[in-house]
Amino acid sequence: MTVVRILGVGSPSGDDQAGWLVVRELERTDLTVRLPCRASLLSLDRPGAQLIEYLEGADLVVLIDAMRSGAPPGTISRLDAAQCTPRDRPVSGHEFGVVSALELARALGGLPACVLLYGIEIASVKPASQPSEAVLAAATHLAQIIARELAQRFGMSARPDAAV
Amino acid sequence: MGDTPEGALESGKGRSVRIDVPALARVEGEGALHLHIRDKEIERLELQIYEPPRLFEKALEGRSFEDVPEMVARICGICPVAYQISAVNALENAFGIEADPWVQTLRRVLYCGEWIQSHCLHIHLLAAPDFFGCDSVIAMSREHPEVVRRGLRLQGLGNDLMRLLGGRSVHPVNVRVGGFHHAPPVNEIARMRERLTAALPESEALVRWTSQIGMPEDRQDFISVALRNDREYPIHQGQIASNDGLAIDPEQFEHHFTEYQLAHSTALFSRYKDGAYLVGPLARLNLNHDRLPAPLAQMLQNSGIRLPSANMFHSMFARAIEVHYAIGEAARLLEHYAVPRAPAVVVTPRAAVGYGCSEAPRGLLWHRYCIDSQGRIVQARIVPPTSQNQARIEEDLRLSLQAFGLEHGDDELRLHCEKVIRNYDPCISCASHFLRLSTDRRS
Repeated sequence: MTVVRILGVGSPSGDDQAGWLVVRELERTDLTVRLPCRASLLSLDRPGAQLIEYLEGADLVVLIDAMRSGAPPGTISRLDAAQCTPRDRPVSGHEFGVVSALELARALGGLPACVLLYGIEIASVKPASQPSEAVLAAATHLAQIIARELAQRFGMSARPDAAV
Repeated sequence: MGDTPEGALESGKGRSVRIDVPALARVEGEGALHLHIRDKEIERLELQIYEPPRLFEKALEGRSFEDVPEMVARICGICPVAYQISAVNALENAFGIEADPWVQTLRRVLYCGEWIQSHCLHIHLLAAPDFFGCDSVIAMSREHPEVVRRGLRLQGLGNDLMRLLGGRSVHPVNVRVGGFHHAPPVNEIARMRERLTAALPESEALVRWTSQIGMPEDRQDFISVALRNDREYPIHQGQIASNDGLAIDPEQFEHHFTEYQLAHSTALFSRYKDGAYLVGPLARLNLNHDRLPAPLAQMLQNSGIRLPSANMFHSMFARAIEVHYAIGEAARLLEHYAVPRAPAVVVTPRAAVGYGCSEAPRGLLWHRYCIDSQGRIVQARIVPPTSQNQARIEEDLRLSLQAFGLEHGDDELRLHCEKVIRNYDPCISCASHFLRLSTDRRS
C-alpha cells in the first residue's frame, strides 16, 4: 500500500509554526482516513538532518515549511524537490534545513519517489509569539490545496468543502 | 570552506601567503580565519568571531529565577540542556537547595541525550567529511552511506531521549530549579531503555570506526580543564580540575580563570595561569578516563590511543567514546526508574550569589547568578566552552601549522586550519553573548 506522509516543519516561534498549522488544519479533517493509502500527519520541530528518518519508507511526502523569499507574508509557494538544491552547502547543525536534508536523503538513496514541497512566506519568528493573521489564513488555505491535490492524485472526488 | 579565500601572493624574497576564510563552514555560528604568512613565519593568525553579541546575560537581569532555565536554553539549539543544568546548579547553590537523587539521575540522563545528539551531529555532519576527502556529509553519504545512517540513527536516539525527558529536543522545557516540571511515565522510559540498550552495538562500532580513521600526529603541550568527581565520569556536576593539579569548587572559578577581550572577536577569551587551556571531550577524557566502566576502558586499551592524549585530532575519538558511554550510562540509570511523589522540591528564593557548572558537549560551562530577595536576577555571568577554547584554538593553529609545514599550498593550509578548528567543535553562537557593552555618549 502506498505510504504517504504529510510533514509540517517548524518551531514554536511566531510564524515559524506555519508548517505545524497546516498539519493541525488537516488533522481536523478525515483526509488521512479517506485516502486509499497509508497516510499520516506529523509536526516536526526543527528536525535538521533527522528529517531523513521521516522520509524513509514513504512513497509520497508532502513537506510544509516556513519560507522567506521577499514575497508578502502568507504567500504560498509550491516547489519541486527535484528543482531544489541547497543555496549553499550545509554549514552547521544549526542551519541544516529542509533542502539540505532532502539532498542528504537523495545521497543516501532514501528520497521518496515523490516529494511535494510547500512554503508559506512568513514575517515574524519571535519566540513564544502567536503566528500572524496572514500566516494563519495561508495555513488554512494550504491545507485545502493539499487535501485537494492528494484527493486528485488518488482519483478521489475532490471535496474542497469538506476538506477542512 | 564555504567561501573562496583570497589567494596567495608571491613576493620576490620569500613566499608570502595570505589566507582569509571569511565564513568558516561546518562550525556552529559565524566566524572567520585570517592567516598571513611571510617568509615562512606566521605574521598574523586570528580566529575572528564576528557573530553579533546576543547579550543574554543582560537580558536575564530583572527576570525571575524561574524564567532562567527556559531563557538560557535559547542560547543554543544544540546544547540547551547544558545551559539549563549549569543554571539550575547555580540557582540551587544560591538558594541552598540540594536536588534529590531522583532529580540528579534524571538530569544526568537528559544530559546524556544531549551528548549523544551533539557529538553524533559533530562527528558525522561536521568533522568526519574532512578525513574522507569530502566537502560535506552529503558527499560522504555517497561513499559511506551506512556510516552516515548509523550516525543519524544515534543522533536521533539522543534527540528522542531529550524529547522524552525535556519535553522537546530543541530548547527543552521540563527543567526547573529544584527538579523537573513533569516526570515521564514508566512505560515510555522502559521503551527508551530498550532502544538505548539495543543501540550499544552501534555506538561500539562508532568507537571502533573513529579509532581507525587516520589522524595527523600532532602532539602539543596543553592544559586540560574539566569537571571531576569521585563517583562517575563527569557530566552534570563536579569539581573543576586540571592536569596540573587544580581541584576547586565552582565558587572559586573566578579566582583562577580570567576573561579578556580582543578586538577581533565578539566572544571573550579566557586564560588560566596566564595561558590558554583546553575544555571539551578530549580534556574530559584526559582527566577522567579512569572513571569509565571496565568494558570502555578495555575498548580504550584496544584502540591503541593512549591517554592522556596530547593530540587534538583525537577529539573525534573522544566524542565517540562519550557517545558510547552516554548510551550505556542512560540505560543503566533508567533501569530502576519510578515516578516520584513530586518531581521537584519546593524552592524558596533568597538574596544570594550562586555558582554552578556542568560539562556541555563542548566543555566546561560555568554560570554565576546574583539574585535579590524576591528571586530576581540582579546580575548573570555565563562562561561557555567555546570562548574558553578560543585562545587554545589560536595557539593550536600556530603550532599545528608549523608542524604541518607552511610550505603547503593554500588550499591544503586552509583545509588543515579548518580541521584543527573543527576538533574543538566551536559553537560560535554560544560564545558570542558576552561582549561588554559600553556606551560613549558625547554631545
